[in-house]
Amino acid sequence: MNNVHQIPTRLLHILLVLALTVFGGFPIYWMATTALSLNSELYNSGQVPWPQLANLPSMIAELAQLPLMRWLMNTSIVAVGTTVLSLVLGALAGYSLSRFKFHGKGILGFLMFMTQVVPEALILVPLYAMFITLGLLNSLFGLVLANVGFSLPVAAFIIKGAIDAVPYEIEESAVIDNCPRISVLTMIILPIIAPSMAAAAVISFFAGWNEYLFAATFLMDRDLWPASVGLASFVGQYETPLSAVMAAALIFSLPAVVFFLLIQRKIVAGITAGAVKG
Amino acid sequence: MTEQTLLERPLAVPAYSARTSTARRRLNGLLPYAFVIPPALYLLVFMFWPLGKQIYLSLTRTRLANPNRSTFIGLRNYERLLDNPDFYTTLKITLIYSVMAVIVGVAVGLVAALALNRPFPGRTLVRGILLFGWAVPNVAAALVWLWIFNERSGILNTIVTGLGLERVSWLTSTEMALPSILLVTVWQVSPFVMLVMLAALQSVPEEVKEAAVVDGADKLNVFKSVTLPHILPTLQLVSLLVMVWSIRRFDIIYLLTGGGPVGSTSTLIVKLRQVAFENHDLGLSSAYGVVGLMLALSVAAIHALFNHRRQKMSSR
Repeated sequence: MNNVHQIPTRLLHILLVLALTVFGGFPIYWMATTALSLNSELYNSGQVPWPQLANLPSMIAELAQLPLMRWLMNTSIVAVGTTVLSLVLGALAGYSLSRFKFHGKGILGFLMFMTQVVPEALILVPLYAMFITLGLLNSLFGLVLANVGFSLPVAAFIIKGAIDAVPYEIEESAVIDNCPRISVLTMIILPIIAPSMAAAAVISFFAGWNEYLFAATFLMDRDLWPASVGLASFVGQYETPLSAVMAAALIFSLPAVVFFLLIQRKIVAGITAGAVKG
Repeated sequence: MTEQTLLERPLAVPAYSARTSTARRRLNGLLPYAFVIPPALYLLVFMFWPLGKQIYLSLTRTRLANPNRSTFIGLRNYERLLDNPDFYTTLKITLIYSVMAVIVGVAVGLVAALALNRPFPGRTLVRGILLFGWAVPNVAAALVWLWIFNERSGILNTIVTGLGLERVSWLTSTEMALPSILLVTVWQVSPFVMLVMLAALQSVPEEVKEAAVVDGADKLNVFKSVTLPHILPTLQLVSLLVMVWSIRRFDIIYLLTGGGPVGSTSTLIVKLRQVAFENHDLGLSSAYGVVGLMLALSVAAIHALFNHRRQKMSSR
């Protein structure tokens, strides 16, 4: 009796997994397939629904027409800057929230939670006005400063959560020995929580890597465009070199996909921890 | 207390205790602030000052051409919102979009988590593929979905016409644009829901499930009376996150439809940008944004209230 029941459930399970895999994976498959198509096929004769490796040379030739290297260079600068600043400030905030009692601790926690609710677009115009005054408009450094406001709290929540799990006894003797607290943090605590620091680094890095709205608003100079703005400039254009654009989008996505898959569990823990505390 | 600390104490304390005077203790009291002030100041300057200024802008008449010259007009911009049918449409679209994103996104994510929670060959690979939508940058996602939705040569319409049906204007008709955007949104948020729910499902105690089976419960009953209550708090948290993210989402909507056609996908945040940069009206634009912020905050507040009540119930 039980066996008769089990076959349809197993079949249903397989079909469900199959459907989900198609839904989740198809857009990436299609990105690759489109990249390996000829533009004449895409716009006229119809797209071949599988990747044609024979078109790889023509795709590379077309890709060379896009300033992809410069875009990715700018993207990397923004991402690295966002990561460094987020980790330094996030470690300070995370350590204080975990270890210290101080006036305004609750307020700081609340404000950091607030940043996750505030839409980027809401502070866009005042930041723009402020950057004009400070001479930070049209500069990658200014873009980093804007990004860190959103990625610092996430990094801080992850780091706080990790430090909470470290027993205080480990740093106690160093504190009693009057070792400066900042050294306690950098030389004792941070090495212990290295995996969480790596997760915070990946999140900040890709927050900077993926960011679009600030970059599109603050950078007028085409030479400063990161890949997100460069690629988005093809949206709504006629005569897009579509296969090259898809290839570039794929290259732009690949690092994010690889790293997100590597640290998926840590990211989830960090984001939900920040939300729970609010 | 271990032997080691007993031995170390006498060495460490006398060496410094003479100098650990009141001055030093006062310095130690200030120590937390040396850590807290840099990040706190940073957030004040680059997040909350602009936010405050934006909220202030909503109380003024300010044009984009001259953003530093504002005339204070009190709540007039909000009165203008309430008199404007556009505002109600935008509010309605925001609510439909974010509620549907929660319902469909969380449902798909939960189903995916349940499907992946039982072993099958290639599970790790499938789990990786299901995460694509969450990992791919917004701009890249927008480009490929624009092509999938392309009216003339996109794959969706190739399939539709292959089935003998009429072409669908996925992103350019008022009926289809919002559902199309929701499809992309579900693709982007359901993997996150799946990850979180998978972690919650794996923490359901096996013994309780087994005990329920021994007591004669079938699979559906085990799910309803053991699994569901256990994962409910996580489900609620993840719904809150998806709701807040949907209210504040900008990139993907802006890139796919720009809020159109005829405002049919214009959420409060997309409208905020449009009124600022196309109508040059910073005051009114800010008012739209502030309403969006209030909406997101009230969702978070409702969640906090539920959480608080549940904690009180469980501590009793």
